[in-house]
Amino acid sequence: MPHKTFFAFILPSLIAMVLFIALPIVSVVVQSFHVEHGRILVQVESCQPFGGCTTETRVDTAAMAELREEQPMGRFNGFGTYLNRGHLAVDEIGAILANNNGIGDIVTRIYNLPLYKALAFTLVFCFVVTPIAMALGFVIALAVNTVPKMVKGPVIFFSLLPMIITPLIGSLILYWMIQPNGIIGANLRVLFDDPTLSLRQSPLLTWLSLLFYGVWTNAPFSFVVFYAGLQTVPADTLESAMIDGASRWERIRYVVIPHLAPLATFVALVQLMDNFRVFEPIVGFSAEANATSLSWLIFNDLSGDAQLFGSAGATSVITIIGVIILLSPVLVRTWREFNHKVV
Amino acid sequence: MAQIRLKNVSKRWNNFIGVDNFNLDIADQEFLVLLGPSGCGKTTTMRMIAGLEDITEGEIWIGDRLVNKLEPKDRDISMVFQSYGLYPNMTVYENIRFPLKVRKVPAGQHHERVMAASKMVELDDFLQRRPAALSGGQRQRVALARAIVREPNAFLMDEPLSNLDAKLRVSTRAQIKNLHHTLKRTTIYVTHDQIEAMTLADRVVVMSKGLIQQVGTPMEIYDRPANTFVASFIGSPAMNLVHGEIHNGVFTGDHIRVDGLSTQVNGPVTLGFRAEDAVLADSNAHIEAPIYSVELLGEATMISMRVAGELVSIKVGKDYRAEIGDVVRVNIAPSACHLFDRSTGQRIATAG
Amino acid sequence: MSDTAVSQRRPLGLNIIIIGFLVVWVVLAAFPFLWTVWGSFKVEPDFFSRQNWINAITGPFTQRQTGSAFTGDGYYGAWVTREFWRAVANTAIVTVSVTVISLTLGTLGGYALARSGQRYAFWILIAALVFRAMPHITLVSGYLLPFFELNIWGVLPTSIIVLVAINQPFTLWMLHSFFLSIPKDLDESAMVDGCSRFEAFRRVIIPVMWPGVVTTGLFSFLLAYNDFAVTSMLLSSDNQTMVPKISSFLGSVQEQGNVMFAVAAVVSATVPLFILVLFFQRQIVSGLTAGAVKG
Repeated sequence: MPHKTFFAFILPSLIAMVLFIALPIVSVVVQSFHVEHGRILVQVESCQPFGGCTTETRVDTAAMAELREEQPMGRFNGFGTYLNRGHLAVDEIGAILANNNGIGDIVTRIYNLPLYKALAFTLVFCFVVTPIAMALGFVIALAVNTVPKMVKGPVIFFSLLPMIITPLIGSLILYWMIQPNGIIGANLRVLFDDPTLSLRQSPLLTWLSLLFYGVWTNAPFSFVVFYAGLQTVPADTLESAMIDGASRWERIRYVVIPHLAPLATFVALVQLMDNFRVFEPIVGFSAEANATSLSWLIFNDLSGDAQLFGSAGATSVITIIGVIILLSPVLVRTWREFNHKVV
Repeated sequence: MAQIRLKNVSKRWNNFIGVDNFNLDIADQEFLVLLGPSGCGKTTTMRMIAGLEDITEGEIWIGDRLVNKLEPKDRDISMVFQSYGLYPNMTVYENIRFPLKVRKVPAGQHHERVMAASKMVELDDFLQRRPAALSGGQRQRVALARAIVREPNAFLMDEPLSNLDAKLRVSTRAQIKNLHHTLKRTTIYVTHDQIEAMTLADRVVVMSKGLIQQVGTPMEIYDRPANTFVASFIGSPAMNLVHGEIHNGVFTGDHIRVDGLSTQVNGPVTLGFRAEDAVLADSNAHIEAPIYSVELLGEATMISMRVAGELVSIKVGKDYRAEIGDVVRVNIAPSACHLFDRSTGQRIATAG
Repeated sequence: MSDTAVSQRRPLGLNIIIIGFLVVWVVLAAFPFLWTVWGSFKVEPDFFSRQNWINAITGPFTQRQTGSAFTGDGYYGAWVTREFWRAVANTAIVTVSVTVISLTLGTLGGYALARSGQRYAFWILIAALVFRAMPHITLVSGYLLPFFELNIWGVLPTSIIVLVAINQPFTLWMLHSFFLSIPKDLDESAMVDGCSRFEAFRRVIIPVMWPGVVTTGLFSFLLAYNDFAVTSMLLSSDNQTMVPKISSFLGSVQEQGNVMFAVAAVVSATVPLFILVLFFQRQIVSGLTAGAVKG
């Protein structure tokens, strides 16, 4: 296809992506190097008829408005935002490493820094939910593959629901059920014989319920993909494995799983990408006291009364770097394959 | 009406060379076949003529127009694709009519021309069907009809028979030959099947790895292959090729000794001969080797043996019987022998 | 035929385990929805019962307060009192616009990518893959300041354009692989027959591309429908769509003892998704796997 025709076709799409994905990324980077203007203070002398005069320090709103008008992004701060307590917290980490009571103390104190707390949950969510959801999805796919056709349709229908449900709504539905006065919460109290049990109270239980939600909503995707993959397992290979004497489990182990391995890489990639941006469940579960994520930090900076663009920008840049690190194996592999193909 | 000329045409993708410095003059009304194994650049050459592929270097002339920069639609050619490229949402009638419609041929002529084209390929009964409801052979004929409905400068056909079964292939082949005779248009035909090439072509271009190996009439290519590649590609079975040494007109190798050859050539060569040119001998034969296999073909029997490390086939009478392992003696007429340079594979021209 | 094959025969015990497992999974997947739908017709003391969760099923408080076992009070409160219908209308505008615009841009771009074979087409796809991985909220933090400056914050068109753009990487990938499955012969024969590239696209490709477009459209719809990050940050409270509206319900409604408004709103927002899966199950499944097979 001639270059001119190609670009005529793709231009609208390209413009949309450059304008609203590439430029915002640049804008985020620029923002992250700026910080909100400090307050401009003025000395105001106010004199009362009988009380004499007092001098009082006030914020000069007019001057600030003018300053904002001139420099809407705030003042330049370099890497200041990145290094402060709310982000990489270099000084604090240095202090912790210099003066601590052992590994446990280091971990606890670092965990109390907001960015590291969010990062910890984000990574745990990614790397716990993804494999469990994939394994569960695989087992469901194996099971569905054995049932009669008539049953398959409805099972697939119900299985899709947790996946396509709006994340915020899905997490709200589960959250209402696990509240102490919801059905699951109430029954757990009975089960553990603990009338004060509340999933919201303890960080551990909050994490567990968020992870449960993650698996619940992620498993269907693996299921559908693996189920489709199972339809393409070559029957000849399965039957020759049977003739060679492979048991049911060995057939899965040596024929089915190797056949699905490329699909598994794809599923893992997509789910890691999606789980890295975990955010809505934290809002839905009102879990911010015990669990936060990188995306939630950005949301929180932006949605407060004072919108902290610098801080949100810095967290965003750190998040983007995280995404690129996650994607790097794929990018490197694609790059190699591409060069290989050309040579 | 349309002579097609390719001047130093090359096609490269990054570092990969698809077609290298291709030069050819195709005469008006000629039936030219591009023949070669897959990946040899024959389809790329045709697609460059059609304008579906950019030309990296060189010039393509159709008639007296340089068409390098012209869009396919402006080159006035028509093409039959390997998988036919029928429009699935249109009926057969609409498929055939499509080129007339998009080229703004006056609507009054459409019906007549569609009917004429469909009659030529015997599609009259299927005009209201959709391609999905047709058999492979019928689809192929729709593609042909769509190509001939307007009268273009040239027809291009990209392996049009490769998706048909063996029997249908033979009858469609005859039909294409007949159409060419009736319509008298320049036709360029791409195939990897040497029998199609031999039966259809006025001239054959044998290609390999993006290069022209030989251009000639089918008989020239069969009788005087330009190199070992052409020799091994044309004919069924392909020409036997045996490596050995030649000195004073005598070719020697393991199990083989042929005398009476050209005395102008000395040193390592490859000797080629066709299976049907070998005859059984009683004693003092050119080839003496144990039989490797015996294949009964019906009209003849094929026996093969190992000669100088290569498996050599010879064709003998249908009543010949022998067991694997029996020693067989064979003579080859020196005039039926071809000599090729061992290192380059090029034919060594010999007097007579 | 394969049903009777030896490889399909299983011992009874295994069959029971399989069926048991599937029943547990289906209950796990479906029960929360059924429970919430049922509960949305009760009053708060029943659905969030302090005494016994059975109340949510039987509804004694609902009986006492409204005189019937089921009540539509939650729905009335949400839709009429709190004007949830506005959010529904906004969602309809946003999702339909996003889907239509995404598909228009995506089919053109995806077609070009599938037919180009140039080096830059490959790089555009890789860039799209990276863009696809960006958490939406990081992009949102890049939008806010420029949008305030340009004075286009808070209105529906801005959100629509942003969602279209965010959606493009996915749409391009999906349609690119779909167009690869349409034989190249088709548009090439149209071009030889006398069409320009665009005419070939219009006359020959558009008539056969609908299955892929429908599948891709479903996912574009889902993305726009399910979005929270973009719409909650970029829309003023008057223009909110359903999901951010529900989120803002939560804060105010809980204090006033009107949680049932939120529950009713949540169920209302779930219904379209149910219908979607019901009618387009096949396309959703094939869409998910199409991406996977290519990847």
